[in-house]
Amino acid sequence: MSTQTAIDKTTATNEVRAERTRNCATYQPAVDIIESPDELTLFADMPGLRPEDVDIHFENGMLTIHGTVAERQPQQTRFLRREYGVGDFERSFRIGETIDAEKISAEYVDGVLKLHLPKVAAARPRKIEVKGS
Amino acid sequence: MNLIPWKRKEAETSLAHQPRTLSTLRNEFDQLFDRFFGDLTGEMPEMFGARGAWLPAFEVSETDSEILVRAELPGVNAKDVEVTVSGNVLTVSGEKHEESEHREGVTYRSERRFGRFQRSIELPSAVDSDKVSAENANGVLTIRLPRTEASKPKRIKVNTN
Repeated sequence: MSTQTAIDKTTATNEVRAERTRNCATYQPAVDIIESPDELTLFADMPGLRPEDVDIHFENGMLTIHGTVAERQPQQTRFLRREYGVGDFERSFRIGETIDAEKISAEYVDGVLKLHLPKVAAARPRKIEVKGS
Repeated sequence: MNLIPWKRKEAETSLAHQPRTLSTLRNEFDQLFDRFFGDLTGEMPEMFGARGAWLPAFEVSETDSEILVRAELPGVNAKDVEVTVSGNVLTVSGEKHEESEHREGVTYRSERRFGRFQRSIELPSAVDSDKVSAENANGVLTIRLPRTEASKPKRIKVNTN
């Protein structure tokens, strides 16, 4: 992900992304990105959300995934062990022009967000047959 | 070592999003130490990789009536999770499978972990093992362990003459 390019672009279009003001921690989900001949597939571990809490935003070549977490625990519980924090998930990726942004699709199963980023037809590998005479 | 990936998520937390106070920072350090030194005595074999390719993060809390254990298990199907209670030890084991795309495509970024895991936790009080319930929803496993009548805290009324 090229942060520098992302910043340049934001300045160029004179556009400012609002900072989030929700008072809770934000975590970067762990992701896997796999390329097949037809698409890039992105998997992000984002446990504890409902599908409707996941927001996927694509603008100016930046793909942002955001998950808003609901409060999990009532206040009066006594914690004996806490190994993970509960908070929102957010991560941004710069997507090249080889991706067909119109056809990006997503699903959320067992706490994992799966994003399909199909390639534009021109970027897909083609096999050219060699004809003999 | 298995300890490191548990913490990675918090380490990556964007500071810009989160004004931290000293007390939350202190709490986090307390938990870090508790966990590290607690593990040295209680879960030694586990820590050195005897069990599990990865270890999910746990959260244990209690109310007067039950003990609540939660674990982050993204990508683990409910049928691949096993929960057992033996005496005052709760054991959670399971397996996280790679998606089929991993075998077919070229990997550009690989941050998630897969494979078997097993963790055992000592419960702080006696529980009624017949009434334990577990549910895996959206990648979070929730185990409810009701306390036995004898282990519930009792309020004693102080009489005055």
